[in-house]
Amino acid sequence: MFIVNKGNKSDLGIMKEPGSRSKAGGRKVEKFKNLPFVKKVGFSRIVLTAVLILMYAIFCITIDGFAGKAHLMGTLNYVYFLGFLSLGVTFVIATGGIDFSIGPVMFCCALVSGYCFLNYGMPMGASLLLCIAVGLMFGLFNGYLVAYWSVPPFIVSMASMNIAKGAAAIFTKSMSVSWPLESADGGWFRKLATFNGFPTGLVIFLVAALICGFILNNTRIGRYILCLGSNKEAVRLSGIDVKKWEMAAYVICGVLVGIAAIFFVGVYTTVQPNYGDQYNNEAIAGCVMGGTSMAGGLASIGGTVIGVFIISLLQEGILAYKLGKDVQLIITGIIVIVAVYADVVARRRKN
Amino acid sequence: MGEEILRMEKIDKSFPGVHALDHVDFDLKRGEVHALMGENGAGKSTLMKVLTGIYQKDSGKITYQGREVNYHSTREAQADGIVIVHQELNMVGDLTVAQNIFIGREFMHGPTIDDKKMIMESRKLFERLKIDIDPSARMKDLTVGKQQMCEIAKAISHECKVIVFDEPSAALTEKEIDDLFAIIRDLRKQDLGIIYISHRMDEIKVITDRVTVMRDGTYVGTLITKDCSKEDIIKMMVGRVIYEQPKEKSLVPDDAPVVLKVENLNAGRMVQDVSFELHKGEILGFSGLMGAGRTETARAIFGADPKQSGKIYINGTEVDIKSPQDAVKHGIGYLSEDRKRYGIVVQKTIIENSTLACLEEYMSGISINKSKEKKATEKVIDELNIKTPSSDQPVVNLSGGNQQKVVIAKWLVKNCDILIFDEPTRGIDVGAKNEIYKLMNSLAAQGKSIIMISSEMTEILRMSDRIVIMCEGRVTGEIKIEDATQEMIMNKATRNIK
Amino acid sequence: MKKSKVDLKKLGTQKYIVLIVLIALYIFFCIASKTFRKPTTLISLLDMSFYYVIMAIGVAFPIMTGGVDLSIGTGVICYALFGGTLVRNMGAPVWVGILVAIIFGVGIGLLNGILVAVMNLPPFLATLCTSMITRGLGSMCKATPWPTGQQDGAWFHNIFKITLADNTKIPVGFLIVVAAALIMGYVLNHTRVGRYTLAIGSNKEATMLSGVNVKFYHIMAYVICGLFAGMASIAYASAIPTVQPGTGAGMELDAIGGAIVGGVSTAGGIGTIGGTVFGAYVICLLKVGLPFIGLQAYWQQIITGIILIGAVMIDIVKKRRAQF
Repeated sequence: MFIVNKGNKSDLGIMKEPGSRSKAGGRKVEKFKNLPFVKKVGFSRIVLTAVLILMYAIFCITIDGFAGKAHLMGTLNYVYFLGFLSLGVTFVIATGGIDFSIGPVMFCCALVSGYCFLNYGMPMGASLLLCIAVGLMFGLFNGYLVAYWSVPPFIVSMASMNIAKGAAAIFTKSMSVSWPLESADGGWFRKLATFNGFPTGLVIFLVAALICGFILNNTRIGRYILCLGSNKEAVRLSGIDVKKWEMAAYVICGVLVGIAAIFFVGVYTTVQPNYGDQYNNEAIAGCVMGGTSMAGGLASIGGTVIGVFIISLLQEGILAYKLGKDVQLIITGIIVIVAVYADVVARRRKN
Repeated sequence: MGEEILRMEKIDKSFPGVHALDHVDFDLKRGEVHALMGENGAGKSTLMKVLTGIYQKDSGKITYQGREVNYHSTREAQADGIVIVHQELNMVGDLTVAQNIFIGREFMHGPTIDDKKMIMESRKLFERLKIDIDPSARMKDLTVGKQQMCEIAKAISHECKVIVFDEPSAALTEKEIDDLFAIIRDLRKQDLGIIYISHRMDEIKVITDRVTVMRDGTYVGTLITKDCSKEDIIKMMVGRVIYEQPKEKSLVPDDAPVVLKVENLNAGRMVQDVSFELHKGEILGFSGLMGAGRTETARAIFGADPKQSGKIYINGTEVDIKSPQDAVKHGIGYLSEDRKRYGIVVQKTIIENSTLACLEEYMSGISINKSKEKKATEKVIDELNIKTPSSDQPVVNLSGGNQQKVVIAKWLVKNCDILIFDEPTRGIDVGAKNEIYKLMNSLAAQGKSIIMISSEMTEILRMSDRIVIMCEGRVTGEIKIEDATQEMIMNKATRNIK
Repeated sequence: MKKSKVDLKKLGTQKYIVLIVLIALYIFFCIASKTFRKPTTLISLLDMSFYYVIMAIGVAFPIMTGGVDLSIGTGVICYALFGGTLVRNMGAPVWVGILVAIIFGVGIGLLNGILVAVMNLPPFLATLCTSMITRGLGSMCKATPWPTGQQDGAWFHNIFKITLADNTKIPVGFLIVVAAALIMGYVLNHTRVGRYTLAIGSNKEATMLSGVNVKFYHIMAYVICGLFAGMASIAYASAIPTVQPGTGAGMELDAIGGAIVGGVSTAGGIGTIGGTVFGAYVICLLKVGLPFIGLQAYWQQIITGIILIGAVMIDIVKKRRAQF
């Protein structure tokens, strides 16, 4: 026989109340945040889109002739390959890991398969598949070491990066590789990026983003990846083969990097060995800016897409301002710092 | 007991949404051991954190040695002679014992650290406290119990007048607890004021002079230990009297089928030649002291840790369990001790957590059938009486008891036949505790079989049909509930088999 | 008592294993290639390894706090470029150039320390960003040769290598490396800076609760790394006649690889300077030796990557075994 005291606060089930700012402005923000539309789309995503539009407006006003097809196409061309890189790295970051070998691996894919096309007479279709296959191989390599051997992801990235650079250089004998122009034999692959002026690449990218979003939110792979990123041990103790799913994230990334390579050469034609580092940071920047948390467990494909647009637009703008690549590097570095710091602060507040 | 050395008056502290301390009073005399008791969430740790400068009080007065004080950091409090030994170990694993004890206040020889002197001083300290530990050993090579003793020695090595012990005996063996009490008696003789936070009634009775009880952030009252009974204290802690009678007789028939048979299980030092059987519909209590090897046994059975040898039979057939995957496939569910770290994915919702162990059953093609998930979750929320406004609430927002229920929910949704509960009511308030007991009984009545690991004697005696006792990695006894007594269990839990 | 003896052995073991590997590798190359045996090879090995070993000693500190510094590669180039530009294009005396390079290194180290210790950014990401920033800053300079030969100010080469009248070169820099290793070994094992670096890597929370100013010492680890990167940039300028902007990415791999091969654990809390130095020499030996057996530079990149992973995997296997 027992009588139980039910008067406890803890019986309400809720322990924490969301911290609300006491200033008047803060209250207005809270009200806006609670609108059903905002809740569905996501507050940060709306802020990001606003930033994107604002940026575009500023560029159009301050740069002569920025508003117009040429710069729009320039931005989109950047979006295609960077977008696939960012989509790929989103899956890896969702598991709480990181992959900054994606830039050099992308180049390795393009170099190896392009070399095969040019020098071994491989048909274009097969070359494209080879491109993706090389990415897949690196994905398997990275994923295996991280998931099955618990090698810290940044070490695997460092090693992979250099292996990719070295392997590509050896394969192409240190020469750069130029993929065929549209008019040339095999040049049809460029239609994937742009078809008679129509940005087919954008369509393909958005479709891919939708598929990635679906995978992340509605399939087992996605559920497991997000959960293990949040608490790997709890997921393991629930009877799930965490190693398999963690590796899967890197494999998905590898495949997307291979696809990114296709779009890179589809737009820019020439790739050279020992290159590609800067795209790592930009891809990660797009991802983290969009709301994917470095700690793992939280990922937003929609946010990544907007983040990619912002970075690409920024890159186009910097070019238009005639600032050098060096400035762009510095700015990207600072942006990533700010984005990741914002993530850290947001996480701390939640706790 | 001498004159008053510390007085906390009307201490008030709030966090967003929680009034943690509501005008709490507490006083401490020189040369006394004063227990601070209360359920989880009562505010004991918070009060001590306010005292030692980790938190800042909102209002109230703290008087120490006649002057009013208000510390802003542990360093400040330490410098003034108030020291706290935390519940969680705070040791730097890669440094040696001596380096840990003197970290932050090393003996210097110019710019050089004088390691030799640190070792010598540590040795002196250990001799004084009659602790047998090598000061030049690396901290992470020591057992948890020894690390705890180092933690205690470190606290005492500061020149202090007040020491707070927060659940000090949790990781100690019985001998180490005796050593600890000897140290405390010694400190008492030296006229120190000692605050002792613990759940263990028996210890309170042995070592303390007065007991202060807190409940829901308020001060309930102070009793003189030798003049009061356990029931008096419990009454103050919960507000009502709870009768906890041991189970008189098991309802499980003698010929009930054996659902799980473990034979000669070996998994490192902590699991040596363990064998036992679990019957259908039975609650098998696993008793023993901290470090007896019960959790390690459970984890080895569940495949969470590798084992060296041993056979496991489920319903008569031998099974090969090499990982939690295998165990879950065979219908075993494991509720680990530390639910936040091993039981739930804190950032995710109740739905996502509850279907985690059997997501394959909620698929339509390649996509997750979210409405099916939601329905199943809501059903189990109802069954378990989980208090939450909705099923897609992130688990992090729930209270401890409800979080524990979410972990149970996961195994219910999976429909496990064998459940291993490891300290199922640890850190949970009395109300939620009783709900979990009710739940375990109803599961057993439905034909599920439960292994319940618990360090609370009353819990073991109340819930088990049979009891297995472990000591230092071995099974030392197996008794039916009708034959069991506290003394018998404690006897077997401390016996050393050679 | 027995336990501590075993511990000492365990701690020192990796250091001596690496030394043995180093010697064995050297012997291997000597056997495999006649031209390798010439004394000039050893001298050129020492010559090009100064900056790597100095970088490795520096980066060992952030790694021991459980972090890393990826900006040292592009950083070395950047600091050398800035110093060189001051000397070549603005006519500053060489010692000013050296000072500027080192101070710049310390400055970036301080920035890294603040990003990691104060703003709590993940170390690899924070330093990846600063590596971009230093690459960008470096790219603003043009390719700059530091003074050589008979030019005014070429004396700084003598810090590393004294060239006698008959053109024989004495690698004095080796003594500097040894001195730096001894000093930093002392710092690591016998001063608070070193002690707290290890403590932070082992258990930052516990160290903080013991009253140690964790933020200060955590930042200090990165400042030390920056300081050594600055010093390494001078060694680099001495070894490479003309410093090119846009290079440098990848050097950090060799330095970090050297430290890890030498026993510094990526988990933090464990490491020796001696091991780091030996490990760095292993990496450099491979760099110099592989071409002698016909494997060109890019092979070295691949092999270093594989060795790095191998070293970490060995570390992990050791940890797994120790748990039982």
